[in-house]
Formats: sequence, structure tokens, C-alpha cells
Amino acid sequence: MKTIKNILILFLLMLGFLAMGQQTQQKIDMDIDNVGNAKITVSMTMNASQWQVWNANLGNNPAALKREIERSMPAYFLDDFKLEKDDMNRSFNLSLNAYGVCEINKRGVWSIETDQKDANVTELTDHKYMLVSSPMELGGAVQQTFTINFPSEATDIKVDKDSLGKSIFEFDMNNTAGGINFMMWGGLLFMIVGAGWTGVSLMTNKSK
Amino acid sequence: MKNKLIPIALVVIGAILFGLSFLSFGSSSGDLDISIVKSNSIMPAAHNVYSNELALDGKYYLFKAKMTNNGKNTLEDVTVRYRIPGYVEWTELDIIGEMFPGQTASVRCYPKFKDDISEKMTESTEKVEIEISWDGAGEDDIIDEEFSFRISDRNEYMFTNIPAAEIAGWGDVYNNDALLACFVTPNDPIVKYYTQNIQEKILMGEQASVTKDPNEAVRFLAGIYNATVLSHMVYSGTKGIPETLQDVSKFSQHNRLPREVITGNTGLCLELSLLYASILSNAGLDPVIFLVPGHAYPGYRLNGQYYAIEATGIGGEGLGSIMSAEEAFKKGMEQVSEFYQKYQNGDPRYTLVDIHAVNQEGVTPMVLKDDDFLRKKVDDIVASWGSAGTIAQTSNSGQMANRVNTGGGNSGGNSGGGNTSGSSLSFAIPGGWQTYMRPVPEIPIITAQVLAPDQTTTVTVFDVPASSGQEALGIINQYFQSYGMSIQYQMNGNQVSGQTFSDNGVFNWVGKTLRRNGGIRLVAVGAPDYLYGQSTGYINQVFNSIQ
Repeated sequence: MKTIKNILILFLLMLGFLAMGQQTQQKIDMDIDNVGNAKITVSMTMNASQWQVWNANLGNNPAALKREIERSMPAYFLDDFKLEKDDMNRSFNLSLNAYGVCEINKRGVWSIETDQKDANVTELTDHKYMLVSSPMELGGAVQQTFTINFPSEATDIKVDKDSLGKSIFEFDMNNTAGGINFMMWGGLLFMIVGAGWTGVSLMTNKSK
Repeated sequence: MKNKLIPIALVVIGAILFGLSFLSFGSSSGDLDISIVKSNSIMPAAHNVYSNELALDGKYYLFKAKMTNNGKNTLEDVTVRYRIPGYVEWTELDIIGEMFPGQTASVRCYPKFKDDISEKMTESTEKVEIEISWDGAGEDDIIDEEFSFRISDRNEYMFTNIPAAEIAGWGDVYNNDALLACFVTPNDPIVKYYTQNIQEKILMGEQASVTKDPNEAVRFLAGIYNATVLSHMVYSGTKGIPETLQDVSKFSQHNRLPREVITGNTGLCLELSLLYASILSNAGLDPVIFLVPGHAYPGYRLNGQYYAIEATGIGGEGLGSIMSAEEAFKKGMEQVSEFYQKYQNGDPRYTLVDIHAVNQEGVTPMVLKDDDFLRKKVDDIVASWGSAGTIAQTSNSGQMANRVNTGGGNSGGNSGGGNTSGSSLSFAIPGGWQTYMRPVPEIPIITAQVLAPDQTTTVTVFDVPASSGQEALGIINQYFQSYGMSIQYQMNGNQVSGQTFSDNGVFNWVGKTLRRNGGIRLVAVGAPDYLYGQSTGYINQVFNSIQ
């Protein structure tokens, strides 16, 4: 199942070895493009001991970090992992691409599930929403701020509920990448002009 | 006529162009790029997991396909179907309403095998055929893919599904540990029948799951052990569980199912653990399997505490020694103690599988049918117990039950001398918590204090010379007032909840009282009010374990 909660939990588990006792902030940005793929960026600043532990486990082993993320997100196809560490400020920035994050149904409605009942969603702008949570997986020790940016092509974005009462984002999005079918419209134009011309000719002949 | 020729020609050309547009530009033609990630091997025992996309967050799929529309046209109703000849007929996986140019969709396959796959006794190589089509797709457009994969026999358990070359740590080696729960078969009619016989013939009745009484639960554990001893069940050893990361050859094990252990009268450590877990689960207890390098042993979780037994203590006459149930339990609890030391130190080789917890994550047991022949074998085994079952029950279980109160493994409840008598309150100390005896000499009624790693959640043991709980709390309040603190509380039977006010803020707590050695013992657990909600899990865990 592809849901926002999967993503939140994943990046939380990535920190599962962090010392408890002090609330840590984690920022996750998800930029959705006009074909339903997403660029996910996770950034976080840690205290000294957390930084040491994180580096020992994953920070100094990006391959393990990548594998951990891939295994924890079986629903997604991921690539273009980039990890930027700022040792001076004990922070990191991880970005990756996730394909097919949004789904489109037979009615042409796009959706992305949160898998959370009554998700705490705040509308920041027409195309930007925010979810804040402190998942219990780490005893509420990490506060996650999740922002989701919909593409400019997305319209009628709304937070609805699915059949199980879980919050779900739904939106419309017309695709612009397909181009115009000149052959179809040209043919249609020829037929209309030809038919009109014929009609006019017939009328003219009749009146004669 | 001449002046009609041109417009008619326009109409004809227009119609031709319009028609051609559907052939060359319409939704019928497409350039769909497919990439497939597949599982190399699946275990029939876990067929319920492979069929459930919600199980373990969908980790166990047969394959997943990434489809990208690289053409110029929007494809409508893109349909993905698959089949596994001999197992699954053509099945529609997904219909994607529209796929715009450049759009990517991913589809995962969770095949619904029939229950009889759990009767598969040999491994085989099978083929998956995948077909992808869309509205108006011609025969040339339809995409066909296929790949082979292995279905093992029903007894094979693979410790990991990560290729050997990719193994980097113990987390990788135990990647499949949750799937052990598929081999725990409490609903197997044969296991049920065997359990009923233990309850009736060995234990002469039991109520461990009803009362949640540790003594009763340990008596039940001993009953299982005695049943295996009386059946002359033997341990037949093998190096089944990996000891090092290089143990690639041991990354799979051929597990006899619990019913086969019962009727075959022999088992390895992991097989015996699966048998115990099945029986314990069938009896309503919460079984766990401890996995350590080269070994596994069974136990259960009760009131927040873990208990274990060394099931392989049955040894065998050929091996020279057979442990008594008490010795096996003692050994098991020693191992639990060692397990927690290693676990707390972050040793990834020490892990446990909480069977009911993973059941809730969708890892359900394999389905097994009743079998008259096996029932008859169980009858023969039960007949061999004779009246010895009663003897075993009276000779061992009572002694073992007492051991629970004298502390083993993770059992806490430190009184002044460190020895907890049968009549005092005890509680389970979660891993990593620090115990301080007589932490405040100026307040002698505080016998001990246990501090959580967060340095805020605290368990405090008070021994107060008083005749009632009310009086005891009054004395505690007097002590506190001399240090600028005060308490408010409500009592309900022996349970008490309250708040302590001080310059540092408000401390919320809950606890229990008990009359002890002419006084009252109060065990209270709590946290500062601003962290109480966050620590509720730990507080409830400790509170529920106070007894």
C-alpha cells in the first residue's frame, strides 16, 4: 500500500536508534510532479550524541541507508538517492525520487492516501499542505513536519475520507505532456469546411 | 459539378485524416517500458503472508512491476494480469484508468495460493506469466513478460530473503524472522488435540490464560516439558541457526511442523520452540521465540515479563542426560537474563519473535487439515504417559512456580535486602532502567527507586510502618511536606493514583499497596505531568506487572 504514513514511518525507523529523552525535529518535503511522481527530501538536525549514533549506523554507510529505505518502502520504485551531510552543524539532507506515488482511478481522479484517520492536515497554500505528527513508534520523541507540494496543474485539491474513514488527498490534473492531435483536429476541420462548402453549393444551385 | 468536387474532396480527406488519427495517435498505440522486481523464492508455509498486501507493510510480494508510458499517447485502462500455471489462473492485478505520457505506475503482485499449497512436500521451479494491455491495444502492442521462481517445500524456512552477497549484518540474517509465526500452528487440529491431552492428563486442568497467574503459567510450561519427556521425545541436533554472517549454508532450515514434532517424537531447538509456541498460543498465552546465535528456545510473555524454558533439555538417552522440568526452566530463565543483557547492549544477534504481535501484522499460521492417522499417533503417545503425568506435575511444577517469586530473568521488586518474599509486591523492570537502593537516606521509607533511561519516568518502592494504605500515604505526605512537597491521591482497593506537587512541577503517578511485614508497601510509577502521556506505555507496563 502506498501511503504518506508509510513514508513518515520509514524515515522515523531510519532514526530508530536515536537516544530518547529529547524531542527531535524532522522535516520531510514531498514535491509531486505532473505525472504523479515525487521528489522526497528529508532534513534533520541532531544533537551531538544522536549524530554520533546515526553516523555510526547509517550516516557513514549510505549504501546501507539506501538499502534500508528501499526495503522499508516495498510499494515504491525509488532512485536518485542523494545524501548531503553537514558535519559542522550535525544535520543531513537526503533526497530521492519515488515513482508512481499518486494513483489515478478510472474516473481520472488522482489520489494519495495518508493511511491516518483524521490526519492533522493544514492547507498552507492552494497547492501546499502540511501534516505534523509525533508517531508513537519512537515514543513521540521525533516530531515530523511533512509538507506536500502538488503540481501547478493540479486543481480541485481536497482532503477526503476513504471507505475506512482515513484521510486521502484527491485532485484533478490534466496532462499537458501528450501534445495536440493535429491529424484528428485537421481532419475534423476539413470535414466541417467541406460539408459546409457542399451545403452552400447545394443551396446556391437550388436557388438558381 | 466541378464546384462540388473540391468540397467533397475536403470531406473525404478530412474523414481519412480523422480515421487515421485514431490509428496513429489514438489510445491504441503505446510505448510502455516495463521493469520487474521479483522474489526468487517463496515459502508455502507463508502463503497467507504473500497473499496479503497489508501483511508486514507489504514486504512479501511475488513481484512488482514499474511501468512508464514513454509514448506520446495517453493509454486508457491499462490492465495488468498474471498467472502461475498450476497454482493461480489468469488474475487481474490492477487497472490504471489513464497513463499519461511520461507517467509511471507501479503494481505489486500478492498471489492468492490455495490452502493446499501447505501440503507441498517438494520444492519446484514455477513460472509467472504477466500480460499488460490497454484499451484499443493491438496484438502487437500487448506486452508479455515471464520469469521463473522457486517454491520451496512446506517445511523449509529461510532465515532471510536477502541474497548472500548482500548480507551486511544480523538484521539481514534475521530478515524473515517474523515468518516463523507461520510455522506456529495453534489451530492445527493435531496440535489442539495434543494440547487438550496435556491439559487433561498431565496438568489435570489449568487456567493460566484466564488468571494470568505466573505460577499457573509456569505450571503449564512445565506440563508441556513433562509431556515431551514422558513421550521419550528426543533432541536431534543440527546446526540450523546461523552462528556467523558467513554461515550462508545455514540461512535456511528444514523445520518439522509442530504436528510432525509431536508424532515424530524428535525435534531441533527451533522445531521444539515452534511446538511450544503452538501449544502456548492454543492455550491462550502469548508465546515468544528467542533467537540467539546457534540456538532458539521458547517462552511466553505474561504481565510484561518474559519466561522461557530450555526445551532441548529433554536430551535423550543417547545423549546421556535429561533435565528435569525445573532444571530446564532454570536454564531457560538464565538464558533470558543473558538475552536481555546482550539485547540491551544492542547485540543484533539476539532477537525474539513475539508470535501474537506478528500475527496482528498479518503473519498468520499455515492451514493444516485434520488427520486421523496422526490423531491415532497422538493417542499412542498419550497412552505412554500413563499415570506418570500426575507424578511429574506434582514433583516439578510446584517447585518451579516458587521460582517465579524468587526472581529470575527480568523480575524486579527489590526490597531492602534484595530478596523478594512471596508476600511482597513485585514488578517487572523494563530493560535499561537503573535501580537505586535507599536513594534518599533522609527519607528511610523509600526503599528503592528505579529510573527509566529518559531520567524522568520513575518507579518508587515505599515501605511504611502503617496499618493501612491511607495511613501509609499520610506518612509519606508528612515526609514530603518537610521537603516542600505534597501529594494528593485517590485510593480504590489496593490501587492508588495521585499527584506530587513540588517547586519542580507536578508528578503524576499510579501504584499499588500491600500489607507486608507489619507495614505497608507502596509501589508507585509515574512521570512529570508534561511527559506523562508520552510515558504511558512504560507506566502501564510497570503498573500492570505489579503484583
